[in-house]
Amino acid sequence: MGTCMTVLQLLTGLGLTIVGMPVTLLLVFLATFLLQRKLSEVSISRLVQIAVNISLASAVLCAVLMLWQGIAQHPIELGDWVITPYYHLKFEFVLDVLSLSYVLLTLLLCTVIAGFSTRYLHRESGYGRFFVLYAVFLLGMVTAALSDTVETLFAGWELVGLASVLLIAFFHSRPSPPRNGLRVWIIYRTCDVALLLAAILMHEVNGAGDFDHLVGGEAWPDHEAVAVGPHFAVLGVLFVIAAAGKSALLPFSSWLPRAMEGPTPSSAIFYGALSVHLGVFLLLRISPVLDSAPWLSAIVVVLGLASACFAYLAGRVQTDIKSALAFASLTQVGIIIAEIGFGFRYLALLHLLGHACLRTLQFLRAPSMLHDHHQLENAIGTRPRDEELPWEQKLPAPTQLRLYRFALERGYLDALLEKLVAQPVLAMFNTFNRWEQRWALWLEDEQAPPPSKPDELAIVSAMRKQP
Amino acid sequence: MMPSFLLTSLLALPFAGVLGCLLLHEAWSLRISLGTLALFLFGSVAAMLWLPVAAVDVASMFVLDTLAAPLLPVFALVHLLSHLGTAKTVTSTGYCIRSLLAAGLSALALCCHDEYVLLALLVLTVMLPLWELRERGRSSRTFVVYMSVFCLLLGASLLSGLAERTPLGVGLLLLALMVRGGVFPAHSWMPVLFTSATYGTSLLFVLPLMEILVIVRVLITTIPAWMLDIAGVLCLVSAVYCAGLALVQTQVSRFFAFLCLSQTSLVMFAVMLHTANGVTAALCLWMSAALGLTGLAFSIRALESRFGAMSLSEYHGHYEQVPGLAVLFLITGLACVGFPGTVGFVPMELLFSGSYEKGLWVSGTLALAAMLNGIAILRAYFSLFTGKRQQTSISLSVTGRERAGIVLITLMVFGAAWLTPSVVDSRHRTAEELLGLQPTLHSAR
Repeated sequence: MGTCMTVLQLLTGLGLTIVGMPVTLLLVFLATFLLQRKLSEVSISRLVQIAVNISLASAVLCAVLMLWQGIAQHPIELGDWVITPYYHLKFEFVLDVLSLSYVLLTLLLCTVIAGFSTRYLHRESGYGRFFVLYAVFLLGMVTAALSDTVETLFAGWELVGLASVLLIAFFHSRPSPPRNGLRVWIIYRTCDVALLLAAILMHEVNGAGDFDHLVGGEAWPDHEAVAVGPHFAVLGVLFVIAAAGKSALLPFSSWLPRAMEGPTPSSAIFYGALSVHLGVFLLLRISPVLDSAPWLSAIVVVLGLASACFAYLAGRVQTDIKSALAFASLTQVGIIIAEIGFGFRYLALLHLLGHACLRTLQFLRAPSMLHDHHQLENAIGTRPRDEELPWEQKLPAPTQLRLYRFALERGYLDALLEKLVAQPVLAMFNTFNRWEQRWALWLEDEQAPPPSKPDELAIVSAMRKQP
Repeated sequence: MMPSFLLTSLLALPFAGVLGCLLLHEAWSLRISLGTLALFLFGSVAAMLWLPVAAVDVASMFVLDTLAAPLLPVFALVHLLSHLGTAKTVTSTGYCIRSLLAAGLSALALCCHDEYVLLALLVLTVMLPLWELRERGRSSRTFVVYMSVFCLLLGASLLSGLAERTPLGVGLLLLALMVRGGVFPAHSWMPVLFTSATYGTSLLFVLPLMEILVIVRVLITTIPAWMLDIAGVLCLVSAVYCAGLALVQTQVSRFFAFLCLSQTSLVMFAVMLHTANGVTAALCLWMSAALGLTGLAFSIRALESRFGAMSLSEYHGHYEQVPGLAVLFLITGLACVGFPGTVGFVPMELLFSGSYEKGLWVSGTLALAAMLNGIAILRAYFSLFTGKRQQTSISLSVTGRERAGIVLITLMVFGAAWLTPSVVDSRHRTAEELLGLQPTLHSAR
């Protein structure tokens, strides 16, 4: 009994260390900012490596201890943040197969990326900024991966989103990265509304945001849906929308190639490996909710397969390696989502882990692709053959052309979102703004300027410009 | 006797500062006003921590109760930061006096338990922006029109039996407060004010949110629920509408004004929920919005004092010159929209949760407003701080005063997030007391 208690306490300590190290790293960066101290590249690199390695060692120890002691699940409560008779806000982490797998993957890849980035970004003017955002991202990922309440997940989710967007805009002296960053932010914020509403609904239906109240107290993947009435399906739909936004599923896929504006290490870790799988992770966490409603599972399968097909087509015509890899990544994410819809949880998790590692490697090799290609040619003594799939040749020429156009335009998703959503909303608010200005001018008894076209906003131009 | 004396001294401190500014040479005005406001902040924190609950001043008109005690340091901080962020070139004696008067009047209003005095103080605060507009030779017509409507409605309310709490009396008072608070459709004065007056004066007029003070002190237990419901819908519309307008602005001052309107509308909406959860959210959001918006205004003012008025339709690329301001802009902007880890997170969560009692569509609308605000803030950030790097022949890095402000705001935005559990707990008890669910406001802080 005493040993068991010690192990549980040790697990709690290690779990807190996993989260605590990124927090400490961020606090150090904050302190240097407030004290106006500039850290050298070496110091930053050492701090990051120490923090990530300690987190990784803690995660490995957790996994070993749990396997050794046969512990399937270990909750870590940080206490009740807010308790009122009407509202209960709790931050809680959980160590189980799913969370530990994902957090181990995160820390492993982050360690690799930290090492890679110290050389890749050497003497880059935004070296320090990159690692601050890296630390925010790491904290967000670890928080989301270990979360056992929807609030904890939401906190991590938002941190990941912000870090991603600011890294897309990393090379901010050019106009294109901030434009693309803003575009991705718009899609993230839109989909985060769904997660926020899901959190509210969970609170109102279950009285708390704990996932236990939603999917039972059993350890993953033996969760069972807890029937809570008609709200259950609504919750499922909201979670699927949130996941679709984060994982760039249809119809939100257009942000993924834009995200490639950032430095290669961030593209590798965020959009190739970790961030893009966060939606998958969410669906795995709440998979009993999908299982309880066959129609919802069917929607998830269709969404996953449609995204995979779309990404396959779009990826076939990309002319730069990072975009091609991004769409290849999305193809696999779509298939993983479909696996979740079919109820293959372990398969989906293994697929996720394998895919993330492979894609990180491919992204990190992307800057040396030409070099690799030459080496390959030298090795085989000839140019590699261009792959043409047999079914593509069997299609009639007009269909081939249409498909080509469709793929080249990335499914017209940008144009559709712009015409159907962004432009009407902006036009409406621009009209209101003109009325506001006329009213103010009338009150001030000044001459109204002649009607002019609305100003060219950064948002509109962001919609129009391709990455 | 001692607590009464201390409270009276604290409330009189800003007015003593005004006297100092008037009596001493103009060169001393800035130092006197800064010193007074710093002392006022220190005194407010000390009063919150050490003065007994419900300390009464010597005239027995002003009480430091559980509502006022934590808000007083927030108000003091807002005034101090506003003053710290003002460029020396525009801090005339008049400006210093107005800042001190604003601090004094808002502190008096916060502690005031006499509704007529409270309403009189509310009217008096209107004079400060008007004074500045006249002093700067700017047109004050829009402001005067709206504030005249506010005063007329206030007068009509008093004549219609506010004392007896007749439905007409309380309804007219609510209308008056909505005009002063800039709730849709009576919001147009605020962008004009922010464009014509200095950020400091405009902010100190808007951010103390005196309207909410009157609602919770005077109206909330006596006004018919249907009136609050209608007002709540208007606040909700205002929050989304102004967030949308913030998104399409090309002038920084108008962007900030609409963002401010959207945020204050959210606080007012929370009060209009007239539930313990809603009022708790309002009391927490009141503090976090004040801090967040003050910080945002601080960075904008510091930026405009260097580069002049800026447009949001191009990329200015100021990050490399003033990275501190860029970071401040981002963190305070995100705190305004309730980003995790900042002071705004828990209040926004409370608001969303409280709003569900009115239906999921209400929560959805609030989430829409938060989404639009978040997009507007990042758009403004990218516009101001990214783009081609500007070359200047002189250093434009932040000054010592600005550095102090940045440190103070950053610590509050992140530090206050960790203090939230105890703060929320006390705000919840206060909310119950205000709603009459607990007998008195004189419980432990």
